[in-house]
Amino acid sequence: MTQPAHGHDDDHEHGPEHSLAEIGQAGGPGYYDIMETALRELLIERQLIGPDEIRRQIEVLDSRTPALGAKVVARAWVDPGFRTRLLANGRAACEELGISFYDDTALIVIENTDAVHNLIVCTLCSCYPRPVLGLPPDWYKLKPYRARAVSEPRAVLAEFGTIIPDDIEVRVHDSTAMVRYLVLPKRPAGTEGYSEEQLAALVTRDTMIGVVPVTLDTGRTTP
Amino acid sequence: MTETENLVRRLPNDIGGLPADPIRRVDHELEPWEKRCHALADVLDFHKLISTEEKRCGVEALGAELVGSLTYYERWIVAFANILFRKGILTPEDLARKMEQVETRWSPESAPESTPQG
Repeated sequence: MTQPAHGHDDDHEHGPEHSLAEIGQAGGPGYYDIMETALRELLIERQLIGPDEIRRQIEVLDSRTPALGAKVVARAWVDPGFRTRLLANGRAACEELGISFYDDTALIVIENTDAVHNLIVCTLCSCYPRPVLGLPPDWYKLKPYRARAVSEPRAVLAEFGTIIPDDIEVRVHDSTAMVRYLVLPKRPAGTEGYSEEQLAALVTRDTMIGVVPVTLDTGRTTP
Repeated sequence: MTETENLVRRLPNDIGGLPADPIRRVDHELEPWEKRCHALADVLDFHKLISTEEKRCGVEALGAELVGSLTYYERWIVAFANILFRKGILTPEDLARKMEQVETRWSPESAPESTPQG
């Protein structure tokens, strides 16, 4: 995506026929990109942050994908002791699998059952279990999902193609800066003979947000 | 209820429960600067310079008009600047001068070998 060419007031001297997109790409960064670089460099110059910290944190962010959450879910499905520990303390159980938490957040794992379907949201902004799922999708951060998930969750779920029968309770969990949630989806029928890896391959990001169930045909490609 | 009453009763982030459009399942690959901005947020939090909650309040403090017109990471970077000014860690002039410097580095007149060093 190309930034709109913010404030390129000096471009008129290069002729008015250049397309804005072309100038945006060839003419360097936009206003907010420059602001980010300037803030970062000032903080590094004043030794408030280390020179390599941003690059290292980008590597951490890149290493977090829904595959980590899927590994947690699959382990909980095959190991009842782990499942109990996971539901008691999500963060400690994830750390047991080598998934580090790079922030101060608590993780509460909530389990979908035959009686309860869970959904996570952050109505105030975009809090999300990033250490185990990576960064949230845009729709999770936008108004329609944030506004409506808490007031009409069944209608929201239906827009994802998920119809929850009336006799199943829907619980919506509103995340905060300090407390994040992860849905432990139901293990689908017909997976009795599956290995832990095969199970993990069925578990997608959206199943752990709670907007869709795990099914046999919507999994990620097996690594 | 009048328009301004709504602005007072609900700060810009406080949208839980409001009527809204159908969900569109949109997503995009982060721009490099957006990813750096996200990493910066984490690093500012690690150093207790700006916590996640301070960041959220800083976005809120931009007001409804800015929140409504900036993109997600644009809100973050502007909020960071404002919070650092308020805490006396940086001044607006520090930032303005540095932004000018960064922009000059990219302008076609400055040859790559003349990149300013210290």
